[in-house]
Amino acid sequence: MPKIIFRLFLSFVVFVSIFILIQRYLTPNSFGEYGHYRASAIDDNMLSVPFYKGEEECASCHQEVYDLKSADIHSGIRCESCHMPKIAASKDCKINPPKVEGSLNFCGQCHAINAGRLKKGVPTLNFKDHKGDQNCIECHNAHAPWELKE
Amino acid sequence: MGTERIVNKRRKFFQTSAALLGGTLLYSIIKPFEAIAQTEEEPTIDDKNLPLWGMGVDIESCIGCGKCAEACKIENKVPEEPFYFRTWVEQYTVKNDGEVKIESPNGGIGGLKQSVPDEDIFKSFMVPKLCNHCTKAPCVQACPVGATFISPDGVVLVDETYCIGCSYCIQACPYGARFMNPVTKVADKCTFCYHRITKGLEPACVEVCPTNARVFGDLRDKKGDLVKFLQDNPTQVLKPHLNTHSRVFYNGLSSEVK
Repeated sequence: MPKIIFRLFLSFVVFVSIFILIQRYLTPNSFGEYGHYRASAIDDNMLSVPFYKGEEECASCHQEVYDLKSADIHSGIRCESCHMPKIAASKDCKINPPKVEGSLNFCGQCHAINAGRLKKGVPTLNFKDHKGDQNCIECHNAHAPWELKE
Repeated sequence: MGTERIVNKRRKFFQTSAALLGGTLLYSIIKPFEAIAQTEEEPTIDDKNLPLWGMGVDIESCIGCGKCAEACKIENKVPEEPFYFRTWVEQYTVKNDGEVKIESPNGGIGGLKQSVPDEDIFKSFMVPKLCNHCTKAPCVQACPVGATFISPDGVVLVDETYCIGCSYCIQACPYGARFMNPVTKVADKCTFCYHRITKGLEPACVEVCPTNARVFGDLRDKKGDLVKFLQDNPTQVLKPHLNTHSRVFYNGLSSEVK
């Protein structure tokens, strides 16, 4: 083999090897284990802590309210639909209680009149005609809406 | 003498480096084959032993209260600005003259409000939207670095540490389900609350839905809620002509929905 061809071949081999070395160094460990992605990214996606605890967690302290709600028309709605958690699940909800105002705007999210909300089993009404600006929870118990307060 | 020692040294240097390079090359040639041999045994989306997650959305039940969009933002720490949503609710209003009005102020958070007077409305309905978790996902094909992928249990996920923020996936998604997260500076999207479903919980949007308009479950669980939902209702997917084979199924989908 002429010397020049050999040198050309040698430099080709050297460059390819260096490329492969760098590529190996830069590619994350679990890349390509399951497919064209980093397999440990699946675990990364599992990491965050759930904010929403679920009803059982709420009922463990507030059994009475939970029973009241379960017996009435709002039974299908879970606690955290209205009581949006403000803190991570690992903490006590006494620190930052998820209070609800029970204002017209709040109840109106479901019960205000909207043409797209008709015939879906959710009563809608014009609050102005009903009781003016009075807040819903002044008469209705939010956990059992048909138990009117006196 | 001195020159001979230098020549010997040089010769030795060349020999060692050639041996090193040869060894690396040989190793590199063998290694990929090992990886291929391993992949065949690893779980894929076709693995019958793993769950295959999907969601059913009942348009006939959705009242547009926006609780799902709000819960999603809290659960997944999505920025509060009204441009960033992993899930949102749209109100479609078909007017008497045939014009279709689509609106989603703040993603529906705080409840959707009727903006068209009653007498002009032919029909109106709410459509919750989210990532459709396509089996043939355009976003996954578009990603140049492999930072978005379909997990073995059928959820399209983003690798936040590997994403380079090029936005190709955002353009590729036919459902507009992706956005650039201004905090992490990488692509963000619905993960079916992957951190919740792998712990046996439901996604946050399903958890808070007051009318059970969203059904989440395993498509391989023949007795599960989702399979029952699909059996009970004539469902459709969004944009079926794009052949994305998505796994979010809508009941009561009108032809106006884009």
